[in-house]
Amino acid sequence: MKLRLGVICLALLVFLAVWGPGLPEKDGIKAPPYSKPWWLSRDIASTVVLYASVTSPELVEELPEWLPALTSSETVALEWEYEPPARVSLTGRLDHGFVGWTTPRGRFVLAGKPGELDLDARDIPFKRALGVRPFDDLTSILFPSRGSYVLSLVGGGEITMKIEGGRWGWLGTDHRGRDAAVLFIRGIRVSLIVGIAATLIATFLGLSMGLLSGYAGGLTDTLIMRAVDVLLSIPTLPVLMIAAGMWGKGLWNLVFVLSAFSWMGTARTVRSMTLSLRDAPWVENLRAIGARRNYILFRHLIPEAMPLLLANVALGVPGAILAEAGLAFLGLSDPRVPSWGRMLHEAYAFGAFTSGAWWVILPPGLGISMICLTFMSLGRKLEERADPRLTQKN
Amino acid sequence: MNAFLKRVGGSIAVLAVVLALNFFIFRIMPGDPLTGIMDPRFSPEAKQQLAEQWGLDKPMAEQFVVYIKEMLSFRFGLSMMTGQPVWDELRSRAANTAALLFPALLLSAALGIWLGVKAALNRGSKTERLVLTSGAVSFSFPSFFVQLLLLLCFAYLWPLFPLRGTSSVPPPAGGVKAFFDYLWHLTLPLFSLVFLSFGGWALYVRNMMVKALGEDYVLMARARGLSHRRVVWNHAFRSILPPVLTLLLLALPGVVSGAVITETVFSLHGAGRFLLEAINSHDYPSAGAAFFLLALLTVGCNLLADLLYVLVDPRVRREGAH
Repeated sequence: MKLRLGVICLALLVFLAVWGPGLPEKDGIKAPPYSKPWWLSRDIASTVVLYASVTSPELVEELPEWLPALTSSETVALEWEYEPPARVSLTGRLDHGFVGWTTPRGRFVLAGKPGELDLDARDIPFKRALGVRPFDDLTSILFPSRGSYVLSLVGGGEITMKIEGGRWGWLGTDHRGRDAAVLFIRGIRVSLIVGIAATLIATFLGLSMGLLSGYAGGLTDTLIMRAVDVLLSIPTLPVLMIAAGMWGKGLWNLVFVLSAFSWMGTARTVRSMTLSLRDAPWVENLRAIGARRNYILFRHLIPEAMPLLLANVALGVPGAILAEAGLAFLGLSDPRVPSWGRMLHEAYAFGAFTSGAWWVILPPGLGISMICLTFMSLGRKLEERADPRLTQKN
Repeated sequence: MNAFLKRVGGSIAVLAVVLALNFFIFRIMPGDPLTGIMDPRFSPEAKQQLAEQWGLDKPMAEQFVVYIKEMLSFRFGLSMMTGQPVWDELRSRAANTAALLFPALLLSAALGIWLGVKAALNRGSKTERLVLTSGAVSFSFPSFFVQLLLLLCFAYLWPLFPLRGTSSVPPPAGGVKAFFDYLWHLTLPLFSLVFLSFGGWALYVRNMMVKALGEDYVLMARARGLSHRRVVWNHAFRSILPPVLTLLLLALPGVVSGAVITETVFSLHGAGRFLLEAINSHDYPSAGAAFFLLALLTVGCNLLADLLYVLVDPRVRREGAH
């Protein structure tokens, strides 16, 4: 992958991460559980939402009741080419007038009384109001055949008719009927935040520890390097699991524990770099002309280490992202925050496999891999910039 | 002997840190450990009694000493989930985890080393491309995702392997049958672990081997007319063996972490899944014990790898001699 492509991918991800939370209706239930994406199996009915609203003019109340012809109305047409839908519901508010439903076989008045509407084709009062026997399937009566249908709102009010089929959106729905595409886009955020924040903190820690260790030497050096060895041989995931279980599943808890367990590599690199630079002739010259330790550290050693550190950040991000995803997959992430690991956890826990719902499995999994690959290739390129020897082929 | 003692000292340090971490992670959580398991209507006296029973009324330092003693003698207390001693619950599970981990580690290392050496010998070949791709896969694909896909393909769509568990229910009678049943259940998890981790090994070994093959002593060995196999394995590979062992050391914690996820995906009867279940049901003694055991497993392997290191690297041996 070219550096430019990596940067473009990253910019796209950041854009999606920033834009994601602004997506409308965050956790709304949109369609039946595990609806298919709209472009798949075109012979299955899609979930359709019909919306009609008529603002009643102020005058209406003063008009005589015998004047229905003057009231405004709105109609919504629908071409239906499938079997009857799974579920039909009507919600909203009717100020006056009525809600009509025209099918190829006849007309129904779905609601005639003013007030709040919350009707479902499975409700027995609704069936009785329409003159249907309680055990008949109202949806197949409301959708008797293929053809054109019209929903009309005569009078004033605001109604939403939801006709639930087996298809919805770009990526279908998850086990609760939430839009998987929205979840997917909103999930980028967590991966990016955790990956970048944890790695930045870890790099900062590693930089300070490495500099301290390399520059101070002696006992400090020994202590820090022992700590590095010890931390390197503790399995991180169990610690993260316990921390998540005991201290709460918040994102920042995770970031801090993750960074506390991933600064060691950077510290080692920075230390060896500092060691080799500390006794380099030009640093000795600096010292000879009276440069202070802090001046040498901050004006010379850190800038020298910067390109390598940047590469280190990019190369460290995939590890943090994978750790977060693994933790979320185990169900140890905040259930209110959508993330890719969480999506996979829910897919695994709520039977997406047995439903064959690959649209909640493949996108998050491939998404995590793509983010990681992007950062890996960015890191490789930055590493090559920092150390051109790496590009030479043996 | 000196070098050996140093390594043992390192392992003890790791264990000490793990123990301390394990102690404090459960003590500095928000809230009182008792309120979680106690009915709020309990009287303060009852609470006091419970605190005494668990030794929570004693000063922190004393609790710590008692805790260390209990951990080191494997007395983990009673599980809050089942009421059984935690050690009884963990014993069989830890054996299953080890039975999954060691073969996975050895197989992936062997496969990775073989492929890595092959890739270094034939640069630009298909093997090298395979190594590069699998290396990228192992660093960037979430393990559970790949395992879920494997499970979907080979256990659900094409039921070659069982969907879950470590043995059939009910387990088949007869030692040999039960053993093969066990193997059959472990095959897919094992394969997935090897599949996920051999790439990292191969990539690493390839990079080291490419460097080693360019060294003068390899040229010298070739000039001496040694066989190709001998040059590659006894000269070039022999020289990169110590860093490869270091990699083994560094890979271990990751493998243990991977085992937790693997056991969850395949619903195996192992210490990792036990840890997850304990955390989910706020069973602190079990969670602490499972973590301690997983860390112990890592430290044990580390020590083993360290010992091998002493055998493999003559410089360490010499340092130990004087």
